[in-house]
Amino acid sequence: MTQSASQAFNELHEGIQRWIWKHGWTELRDIQEMAITHILGAQKDVVISAATATGKTEAAFFPSCSYIAKNPSPGFQIVYISPLKALINDQFRRLKSLCEVVSVPLTPWHGDIAPAVKRERFSNPKGILLITPESLESLFVNQAVRLMPAFSNLSFIIIDEFHAFIGTERGCQLHSLMHRLEYVIGKSVPRIALSATLGDMEGVAAYLRPNGNMPCEVIESNRSRQVLKLQLRGYIKKGEPEEPDTIEEISGHLFKELRGSSNLIFANSRANTERYACELREKCEHHGLPNEFFPHHGNLSKGVRENIEKRLQQGKLPTSAVCTVTLELGIDIGSVNSIAQVGVPHSVASLRQRLGRSGRKGEPAVLRMYIEEKELTGRSHICDRLRVGLFQAVAVVNLLLKKWYEPPGKQRYHFSTLVQQVLSLLAQYGGIRADQVWKLLCDTGPFEKVTPDVFADFLRSLAKHDIITQTHDGLIVLGMKGERIVSHFNFYSAFFTPKEYRLETNGKALGTLPIHRPLSDKDYIIFAGKRWKVLKVDTKRKVVQLELSKGGRVPLFFGEGMMVHDEVRREMHKLYCNSSPRSYLDETAFNLWQDGLSGFNNLRLAENSIVEDESSIFIFPWLGDKALYTLTLFFQFYGLKAFVNSLCIEIRDSSIKEIKKTIQHVRETKMPAVHEITSLVNNKITDKYDYLLSTRLLEMDYSCKKLDFDSAWQWIQKEEI
Amino acid sequence: MNKVRKIRPKERDAIILSLKAGVTPRLGLHHIQVGRTKEISGLIHDIDRIADGGSAFRLIIGEYGSGKTFFLYLVRTIALEKGLVTVNADLSPDRRLYSTTGHARNLYAELMHNLSTRTKPEGNALSSVVERFIAAAVQEAEAHNNNVESVIHQRLLRLSDFVGSYDFAKVITAYWQGHENDSTQVQADSIRWLHGEFSTKTEARQALGVRSIVNDSNVYDHLKLMGMFVQLAGYKGLLVNLDEMVHLYKLGNTRSRLSNFEQILSILNDCLQGTAHSIGFVLAGTPEFLLDTRKGLFSYEALQSRLSENFFAKKAGVVDYNATTLHLANMSPEDIYVLLTKIRDVFAKGDESEYLLPDEALKGFMSHCNQVIGDAYFRTPRNTIRAFVDLLSVLEQNPRLKWRDLIGGINVAADRNSDMPDIIAAKDDNVGELRNFKL
Repeated sequence: MTQSASQAFNELHEGIQRWIWKHGWTELRDIQEMAITHILGAQKDVVISAATATGKTEAAFFPSCSYIAKNPSPGFQIVYISPLKALINDQFRRLKSLCEVVSVPLTPWHGDIAPAVKRERFSNPKGILLITPESLESLFVNQAVRLMPAFSNLSFIIIDEFHAFIGTERGCQLHSLMHRLEYVIGKSVPRIALSATLGDMEGVAAYLRPNGNMPCEVIESNRSRQVLKLQLRGYIKKGEPEEPDTIEEISGHLFKELRGSSNLIFANSRANTERYACELREKCEHHGLPNEFFPHHGNLSKGVRENIEKRLQQGKLPTSAVCTVTLELGIDIGSVNSIAQVGVPHSVASLRQRLGRSGRKGEPAVLRMYIEEKELTGRSHICDRLRVGLFQAVAVVNLLLKKWYEPPGKQRYHFSTLVQQVLSLLAQYGGIRADQVWKLLCDTGPFEKVTPDVFADFLRSLAKHDIITQTHDGLIVLGMKGERIVSHFNFYSAFFTPKEYRLETNGKALGTLPIHRPLSDKDYIIFAGKRWKVLKVDTKRKVVQLELSKGGRVPLFFGEGMMVHDEVRREMHKLYCNSSPRSYLDETAFNLWQDGLSGFNNLRLAENSIVEDESSIFIFPWLGDKALYTLTLFFQFYGLKAFVNSLCIEIRDSSIKEIKKTIQHVRETKMPAVHEITSLVNNKITDKYDYLLSTRLLEMDYSCKKLDFDSAWQWIQKEEI
Repeated sequence: MNKVRKIRPKERDAIILSLKAGVTPRLGLHHIQVGRTKEISGLIHDIDRIADGGSAFRLIIGEYGSGKTFFLYLVRTIALEKGLVTVNADLSPDRRLYSTTGHARNLYAELMHNLSTRTKPEGNALSSVVERFIAAAVQEAEAHNNNVESVIHQRLLRLSDFVGSYDFAKVITAYWQGHENDSTQVQADSIRWLHGEFSTKTEARQALGVRSIVNDSNVYDHLKLMGMFVQLAGYKGLLVNLDEMVHLYKLGNTRSRLSNFEQILSILNDCLQGTAHSIGFVLAGTPEFLLDTRKGLFSYEALQSRLSENFFAKKAGVVDYNATTLHLANMSPEDIYVLLTKIRDVFAKGDESEYLLPDEALKGFMSHCNQVIGDAYFRTPRNTIRAFVDLLSVLEQNPRLKWRDLIGGINVAADRNSDMPDIIAAKDDNVGELRNFKL
């Protein structure tokens, strides 16, 4: 690296410079070049946005390590927060040599690190702490008095995979933790967010520090764009058997195309992940070949997952992981040759992430999409005729190419996470006045939507459940049940974790399985890509003993539905109206495309948004899932038998005339009140601590979380009758 | 009425500085003591009993701002004057009676750090207690022409009934040996050990050759040992003052709270059944700490029966000042008035001619405070006192100013309890109904 080449390089600590030389880097990447000066100043927040494997980690750590090497102080000086334990192990491995040259200790810290190691490190805190939000939470609860000395010289908070936090309960927890940490040490700490490229980066910057107390610099990579090779393959599912037969065809194609190289196969659900991994493994065995296909998802044990990650990293053996979102985030698994997406993608941002895994080092990114649709018969449902899955997949790809991504959702109450944060705060300090709690968490913290009167209501509903109680001098303290919640190891996570069984074979842990579908002795299951016989179910220890065997079905996992955004549905509508098929469709997909178009045209959906068949009325608002659901509730509110079906609202026992009259009526009166609509929803409990909330709070929360009144109301206003 | 009480400048400054900072002064407490004569004589009775080789156990229960800490300090001062050794500490999230994570040892270390004698009332007196013990042994050895070490050994034999006495004696002997061999390191290590500052046994074995250390499980044993030891050193006994007991009520973990209550029960049993000697415990906390039947001491059956109020006294409408539990009532406006006159006295060093304010001004000050923060001005008087001391300071330094002009502008805020510091930068006017929130 020539001296003139890089001004930024010269600003780095010489140890870091030496490290860069030693590793034979000839130049700094553009984002690194740009990030160094901003971070070394240590006066502002920085968002570094680039695809995976473009050196984001180094862009953050070169300057921040330089800074602390030049200004060494006791206590942790950098806190690196990552959503995944695996990512922490990975970063620990990557950063070790860098930290050694500048003599900065590096401490990985998460649930799988031995308590003795943690105790020792926390008694002499120094350098860089790599931690998950959950472990950070546990420090607040269990090490409250030692927080101040351990973090008083904190210089940077680095958040990896920041996009994964946006808009989630966990993101809200992260915000609260950073805010509380800054409060404990009495100063604002520059935050460095590493994020995938998302459409509206200014929005991301605003999300990084909601109260805007510190300026924020957004650094985006302006590297040349990647070439994308894309194929969308269609499959037709015949009849309606339990085990879909398309799996045979799709895995056949996967086997043929992917064997011999390294790939990621995203199968949308854990159950599908298992199904495909097992099928592919058996294909290998059938052909007398070594297995190259392995499942990877959150329920598998750490060891099993790490084995696959290691295999991918080393890249010596061809390896294909059949995975869920777990491999969507930035664990360093090296470059893969291609990505396969089995099933319909729900979100543009997520597909972008998956794609980022392929085509590193200047090679084109390869994406194969496998979409299955039902065979059409005379009795086929309208939604099947429209080939919704195929059109959604194409719409998502279209938006991806246009560089549109789902924006962070509207601001929410996050009451469930507020429960957790209030309890954690009480455990941290003992007794606090209500106005102080509100000031810290809501007024100056991340729960800005919560006003004093709502907060008062909130505290009272917690008191009703004996979660909190109050002393004579007005202090809020933990109640008996609150104590029990805080003492449980599950407390630290903001998200819901179902109770699970541990699966073992020969004393070795394979992973966990949710309890809601109990297994019986002599059951057969598919797990970790293999078929097992259940030997023994120990309900007391929550352990299931397994033995390799032949038969088996895929167990049910706990999953959550992804919400499709308004923009995706609008794009689909455009596709139906403007009928040029895409060149990346294979023959079957092309035929499906034509099916869909004729279905659309037969229903004359370009002109009409309300159509009917023998049994039902269908309304097509071409809106996202939230708005769709809200409209459905509007109709229910006015006594219609409405429910959401795929991308439309289906209404039974009514007539187009009646529905139009209803829409007219809604428009001319006023929008139904939030509580009138939400009271129609039976199960509003979706997040971890929702069960502790009063109906009023639940309804407020639900209306922001799952519904979109604005979008729905706009449709009502616009809809021509 | 107008007796001139001399107030020493050292005491005067200590009182004024402490009150300004909103904390209880350590010196000259009696100059600002108001009322509570019956309660104090009850405690004096306890102290006398400890000095006679007996034991005592008291709970001081009062609401926030009722003056528990002041009362404890006063008791401590009296105990020191009567020749006792005192140790005192506030409980906190990382200091409690029972723990498995080092928090009980933290409490012990804090107690030993604050160990005081009459000549060293400000704490850190442990080494002088040890010195005094050694000096007495040396004296006896010289008188009887004996080996000092064997005299020490002989004297410490009296501890042998207590758990942990073997290593305790070994450490005291090591201190003497360090003295003999001019090894300040060994002496420092011995004191460190007695302070409960060794965190591992290995470390202690390397430094002093002992097998045990003060740890979470033997804190009470070591307090009993210390009680006997101070007697051997020539003091009358040991008084242990524990403040902020409400932290046990606030412990977030049910099991660890119950373990702490269990520890209190065994201390209480020892003290009240007479198995403990030359040691007394005074524990102070808010009503929740005692009365809450779910998280307070009353949640523990055995403690509830021992600590419930004297039924006859209650029925007769009188207070039993010999009861294990003493309730301190909050101050009344009359008490505050007396307190203000005493603070005026302190400023004037007891000399009436130097009063900075007339009586009329005291009343004016009180009614101003009443207007601003209501009855909080006498119920939780910390900020009231602070404002008054500030007022006197201003008047003292600017004799030309008139108190009438100043009183209207005095800023006094209600003193509101919390374990969390307030957010200083934040505005205070937007909290709505949360200001005086009740569940």
